[in-house]
Amino acid sequence: MNIDQLEDFLDDSGIIFLSYCGILTQNLISNMTDALEKETAMNNVSLSVSTNIFTIFVELSQNMMNYSKNTANSEDSFNPKGIVLVGYNEQNNSYYILSRNIVSIKDKSKILPKLENIKPMSRDEIKQEYRKLRRSGRDKHECGAGIGFLEIAKRCNAFDFKFNPLEDDKYQFSFQANINNK
Amino acid sequence: MNNLIIEETKYTPSINFDTQKGVFELIGKSYPENTFDFYKPMMDLVEEYFDGEEQEITTINMEIIYFNSSSSKLFFDFFDLVEEAHNDGKTIEINWIYDEENDSALEAGEDFQEDFENLKFNLVKK
Repeated sequence: MNIDQLEDFLDDSGIIFLSYCGILTQNLISNMTDALEKETAMNNVSLSVSTNIFTIFVELSQNMMNYSKNTANSEDSFNPKGIVLVGYNEQNNSYYILSRNIVSIKDKSKILPKLENIKPMSRDEIKQEYRKLRRSGRDKHECGAGIGFLEIAKRCNAFDFKFNPLEDDKYQFSFQANINNK
Repeated sequence: MNNLIIEETKYTPSINFDTQKGVFELIGKSYPENTFDFYKPMMDLVEEYFDGEEQEITTINMEIIYFNSSSSKLFFDFFDLVEEAHNDGKTIEINWIYDEENDSALEAGEDFQEDFENLKFNLVKK
């Protein structure tokens, strides 16, 4: 293991911190959010931008946490390993939050249409859809992509996602949100 | 009727519900591991409180710095209960307190204000 190489790579990518682990816990998420708060305060990031970073980070990590909790007991062999990271892109003066985990084909079929639906929406449309869904009580339970992705879309300047097929009807789901540091 | 006091943690707000004074306060961040379980005692008490004839006037002060989407849904359900009580003739005032540099908190308050037009919903700069 060459830690110098790893550190260079993390530095070059502007990665502020990263978690690559089996199962995310609430404690881990809250400690990382804590660290993130200190980091943004140190760099004089505005409250507006930093709360958007925290919210998206929390939303993506809790998604992953809930997902691994829900699938841990299923009969399928499930690999809960996932990555979540926050970085800063100096060139664009923007922050990025990235998550990647393994999902089943069934979950892909739930997540993909939601994201494809949100992607072309304007800021105002996202806001209206968010309020409509919140009011309707659909997807009431926090597990599963209810208004979570709309919350993220509302708070970032751009997002992107992809599903890479793995074996056994599994997919690697990657999601990235960018926030301009105004 | 009992009061409800819950201390603030790194990811849950402090809750202080004084049923004798009719003052309800929620301050901090909100992203519990299980939002509905965390807020259940509060929601139960709110329901019980409005069912009774305890106080003439109720003041709700909320200062939520940031929150996850399930908390957003829960706050909506909370305001829904408040609106029901308002429609039953109760006098209720909500103060949504935000830091003037926190656009997202202001926007969240504005959205709730629009969703609950019948309520006296004030946006209060800190």
